[in-house]
Amino acid sequence: MTITTGAPPPTHNLPVALARGFLTGGVVGTSLAALVVGGIVENASLFVTGLVLPVVYGLLWFLAGMPRRAREAAVVPRTALAVIESREAVGGETSEVPVRFELTVVPDDGPVYRVEITQDINLVDLADYRPRGVVVVQYPPDRPWRVRIVKRPTPEWEDRAASAQLDSVPGTATVAAPPQGCAFGFVVLLGLLLGVAAVLLAFRADLFDRDDTAKSPSAARPSVSSTSSTTIVSSASGTVALGRGQSFLDKGELDRALGSLTKGGDTRDKRQALTVVVQERLLSVVFSPAGTQTPGFDPRALPYGGFPALVEEATTTLGVRSPQTWQITADRLTGSLVIRVVVTGAEGTASLEADGQGKVVRRAPAR
Amino acid sequence: MGWHGYLVLWCGVFGAVALVGYGRSLAGMTRAQRTVWAKGRIERVGEPRHGSSPKDGIAVVVSFQDPATGQEFTVTNDDERGERISVAWTGREIGVHYPRGRPHAFRFANHLSEGGRGLGWPTFALFLVYAGLVVAAAIDWGWPWALLGFCGPWAVSGAYHLPGNVRDRNRRIDALAAMAAVPGRVVAVLKSVTVDSNDGSTSTHLVPVVTFTTLDGRAVTAYCESGLTDPAGSRGLNVTIHYAPDDPAVFVLDVEAERRSWKRDMTVNVVGVLVVAAAAVVGVVAL
Repeated sequence: MTITTGAPPPTHNLPVALARGFLTGGVVGTSLAALVVGGIVENASLFVTGLVLPVVYGLLWFLAGMPRRAREAAVVPRTALAVIESREAVGGETSEVPVRFELTVVPDDGPVYRVEITQDINLVDLADYRPRGVVVVQYPPDRPWRVRIVKRPTPEWEDRAASAQLDSVPGTATVAAPPQGCAFGFVVLLGLLLGVAAVLLAFRADLFDRDDTAKSPSAARPSVSSTSSTTIVSSASGTVALGRGQSFLDKGELDRALGSLTKGGDTRDKRQALTVVVQERLLSVVFSPAGTQTPGFDPRALPYGGFPALVEEATTTLGVRSPQTWQITADRLTGSLVIRVVVTGAEGTASLEADGQGKVVRRAPAR
Repeated sequence: MGWHGYLVLWCGVFGAVALVGYGRSLAGMTRAQRTVWAKGRIERVGEPRHGSSPKDGIAVVVSFQDPATGQEFTVTNDDERGERISVAWTGREIGVHYPRGRPHAFRFANHLSEGGRGLGWPTFALFLVYAGLVVAAAIDWGWPWALLGFCGPWAVSGAYHLPGNVRDRNRRIDALAAMAAVPGRVVAVLKSVTVDSNDGSTSTHLVPVVTFTTLDGRAVTAYCESGLTDPAGSRGLNVTIHYAPDDPAVFVLDVEAERRSWKRDMTVNVVGVLVVAAAAVVGVVAL
C-alpha cells in the first residue's frame, strides 16, 4: 500500500508567508538599528522604540497566530502503529538524547507513508526502540509529518503493538513538512537590510554631525582652547582662536565660540565676565573671580549680531582709511556696560563706544 | 516624553489588561472558566525503570468520563500532560481537566478542586499598576512611600492570613501523630542529568522511588525526594513509611524531622509578617 498523494498539501499561503518574513526581518533590522543609533546619538525615544517595537510586534504575531493555534489544537490526533526503519542518536550530553528515527507509519484508515522525525529518548529506554520494532505513534491528520512516538501507550495500543507483524513496504512515499524555500530567507534578509537602512537614512544628519564634531581639533571648525590665567588672581579666562581664513565677524561665529566657552564647564555657565575682547580671529573672555563683588556681566548677553556693523562703522567713518587691525572690548568697569571698538591703521588709532544694546554713544576719530 | 509620561503609559497598558481580564471573567470567558474538570481514576500503575527520567512522573493508565457527552476515555500520562504524578496507586482519584469540547487535550492535576475564575493575570496586571504608582510616589515624595506602599498591604495580607496559616501548620503537626507506619522499599532510583549551558558542567538529580502497601491494602508507588541520606545507593533499601490514613499521598520517612520542619516553617511565617509590618511602620514614621 502506498500513499496516493505525492506531496502533502502546503499548510500556509506562500505570499502571506513571504510578507510575514519580510515584516519580521524589517522589525528585527529596524529595532536593532534603532538601539544602536539611539545609543550613539543619545536619542532616548529612538532607543526606547528599539526596545518596544519587537515587543509590540511579538504581541501582534502572537495575537495573529491565535486562530491558527486554536484550529490546530482542536484537531484530534490520530493514533497508529509504525515500524522503526532506522534510528540514530544525533548528540546530547544529558540523560535524554535526541534520536533521529525513520518510521513507516501504518494508519488504520489511510495509506502507509514514511517519515523522518527527531525525538528525545532517555538512554535507559533506548533499547525499547530497535530497528524493525513496532511502536505506537500519534500525529495530527492535517500534518502527517508531525509524528510523535507514544512512549506510554494505552493498554489497548500496547497490546496491538505487541501482537502486530508489520513489514516495511518498499517504495512508500516519504512525507515531510513543506519547505519554505530560499525565497523566505531572502525576503527576511531584505526586510532586515531595509529596516536598518531606513533608520540610518532617517537619522543620518545626527550621525554625520556627530562625526564632524568628533573631528573638530583637526577640522576647519574653530580651534577651541581654554586656559587658566595666572595674571589675574583667583580668576580664569577663556580664549578661542579661529583658523586661517575665518573671522569672528562671520555670521554665528561669535555665538558658537561663546557657547563653547560658557557651556563646557560645570560652573562657568553661571559666571559673569569681567572683560570680553574680540579680534579678527581671537576671542578672549576674562571671567569674574568667584565669590567677589566685581562689576561683571553676562558674556552671552552682548549684542554680537551688531558687532559687524560697529566694526564697519569704525573702519569707514573715523578716518582710518586703511585699517590693519580692529578690536572690540566689552566691560562695565565704569558702571554701565561699554562696548569699545578700536581700529588701527596707517592713519593712527580710532575708536567708538557703544552701550549694552550696541547703540553708538561716542566716537573718537583717528589722530 | 518625561518619565511621568512612561508611568502613565505603564499604568494605562496594564490597567487596560486588568480591565479586559476582569471583564472576561465576569462574562465567563476566561480559560479557567471554559475548562472542564473531570474525576480521573488510576487503573494501572507502571513500575518505574531504574535509572530512567523522573520528568514524566509515574507511568499510569487513567480513565475518566467526559461530563458533557458521557464518553469514557482511557489515557496515559505520556508527554507533557499537566502536573507530574509522583504518588500513584490503583484506584486513586486525580483531577483531569481540558478545554470544553476537547477531551483529547486533557491535563492531569494532583487535586480534584476546580480551577477558579481565571483572575490571576488580571490581578497581576493590577499589581503592576499599583507598583508603578508606588514607585512614582517613592521617586517624587521620598523612599518611605516605597516601604509603606509595598510593605503595608503585604503586612495586612500576612496578618489576615496568619491565623489560618498557623491553624494549618498545627493541623499538619497533629496529622503527623496520627500517621500509620508500614514497611516500604526503594525499588528504583531515577536520574536526570542536565548540562549547564554556561560552563558545560553536568548536574545529576536523583529521585528514589518507594513502594509500600497501606494497612487497607493499597499498593502505593511514590517518588521520595527527601528523607533518604544516600539516594544514589538507596535502591533495595527497606524503610518505614508513615502515611496519612485518609490520603496515602501524604507520607514521610522521618516524622520527627517533618515535625521540626513544620514548626520552623510556622516561626518563619510569624517572623516574616512581623518584619514586613515593622518595615511598613518605619515607612509611616519616616514620612
